[in-house]
Amino acid sequence: MPGPGERRPRRREAPPEPASQVGTDFLAVGEIAAPHGVRGYFRVRILTDFPQRFKKLRQVYLGEEHRSCEVQAVRVLPDRVLMKIVGVDTPEAARPLGGQLVYVPVADAMPLGEGEYYWYQIIGLEVWTQSGQHLGKVTDILATGSNDVYIVQGDGREVLVPAIEDVIAEVDLVQGRLVITPLPGML
Amino acid sequence: MGRSLKKGPYVSPALLKKIDVLNRSGEKRVIKTWSRDSTIFPQMVGHTLGVHDGRRHVPVYVTENMVGHKLGEFAITRFFRGHGHKSEKVTVAKKKAKT
Repeated sequence: MPGPGERRPRRREAPPEPASQVGTDFLAVGEIAAPHGVRGYFRVRILTDFPQRFKKLRQVYLGEEHRSCEVQAVRVLPDRVLMKIVGVDTPEAARPLGGQLVYVPVADAMPLGEGEYYWYQIIGLEVWTQSGQHLGKVTDILATGSNDVYIVQGDGREVLVPAIEDVIAEVDLVQGRLVITPLPGML
Repeated sequence: MGRSLKKGPYVSPALLKKIDVLNRSGEKRVIKTWSRDSTIFPQMVGHTLGVHDGRRHVPVYVTENMVGHKLGEFAITRFFRGHGHKSEKVTVAKKKAKT
């Protein structure tokens, strides 16, 4: 026992449990916000386009070290998710998790329909016109509320490509190419 | 206070004129506009408008359910790039990929 005036030695935190799937790529589906209630639940800000997927989650990976955690309970609300993981039973235990991202393995990503892609698949593709002109690389995606817009950077200029059927001619994920048919007035 | 019903919805006359020309010719091209306060009219459906966001013209494809809204609603002026992590966000490119 430390004497009066002496500082109690800090309790060492347990080392993070290594991710069970070494070398696996992960997708963020949420970000942990504040604790909720007194039983160890915490709020999760939704980062996925499939909020209902949280209901089926049995295991998630937290933080940049992708610490594997078993999900004990989930409640999906209209604008956020309440989650409880095994071993976290008090708000004090849940508070340090705030700010961490909730990941799932890429292999567990929700299946997409024809012509649909995840943002990370499109970002980084080289953009060519059908006439063979190289425009640059997709660096970001802008959601307008109507169509998505791919921001293409190349040769010191920026081109905005609307993701519409008239423009997108081909998406080749294998070769990393996006072929477009530019509308007049677009370039 | 809302706009007077007597006047009808506002749209830039120059923009409407350009749309009418395209509709008559059946041509498809991007029309750049700075008129973010213009109301989307039915004759704009199917056209792609480059709506100015303060820095550049964002190409917005006009669909039926956008009629009655303002053009500026579809070209946000503040753009958060995020924190760089891969997330489960979906974009629709409308074409099948070669896999």
